[in-house]
Amino acid sequence: MDNSLNMPFSNTETLPGSTILQSHGVVTGSTVRAKNVFKDIGAGLKNIVGGELKAYTELLQESRNEALFRMCSEAASRGANAVVNVRFATSSVAGGASELLAYGTAVTVQ
Amino acid sequence: MENVLLQIFVNLLLNSPWIISLYGLLVYQPMKKKALKEREQASVKYGSATALTTLSTPSRPDEIQAYKLLVANVVMSPSWIQTFGGWFRSLFGGRINTFSKLLDWARREAKQRLVEQLEASGFDEVINVRFETATLTKSKNRDDKTTGFEILVYGTAVKY
Repeated sequence: MDNSLNMPFSNTETLPGSTILQSHGVVTGSTVRAKNVFKDIGAGLKNIVGGELKAYTELLQESRNEALFRMCSEAASRGANAVVNVRFATSSVAGGASELLAYGTAVTVQ
Repeated sequence: MENVLLQIFVNLLLNSPWIISLYGLLVYQPMKKKALKEREQASVKYGSATALTTLSTPSRPDEIQAYKLLVANVVMSPSWIQTFGGWFRSLFGGRINTFSKLLDWARREAKQRLVEQLEASGFDEVINVRFETATLTKSKNRDDKTTGFEILVYGTAVKY
């Protein structure tokens, strides 16, 4: 996972093996990505055969890493040193674009 | 002679979507599913296939050394034959077999990727595993033209 802030995060309610001292509230990170024309054409061709769309898989992975990074930097700006209970959500805002959202609770741990 | 060749060429050109999609349905997709089954059996042998749990507490909470969020995703698209079959079936209602098979395949694939990430990272167990599903739509006709759907699996890997 791309996390240059080096902040631990987990999707459990407590960080395994450490205790939470203080909560800093909900932090979110989101990114809206649209697929480009060439990838759309490629996906249209793949719709003849069916199966996995590898280009989209990678694109969504990168976008999700970016959303996580933004979430962690918001947590860092609040003075937290970890994020717990991370959740992901995806919504389509416009035709071909989708929003990837990562949210969690920023906490200070021992 | 030239006429016959031309006729074959034109026939091939006209029928190529059919040929390619039948190849996809009868050869390509079963091949991928078979490969997935082999990978699943390999991880059952390795012992990591049973290391996933949706519980939020690890089995040995006192001995945890490290943890890490693992995320795996897959985008799967139905072929246009499957889309048409699903539309046709939805006229009558009932179970749409092509879509349920495809979704099942995608979910197993995503889960298998999480298991393989677990094997590669050397962690022991994945706790609090969650599944998410989202649909991707085409940019032009935005209502029912589904390009594909994304399956996302994530969980916290722990090391004892």
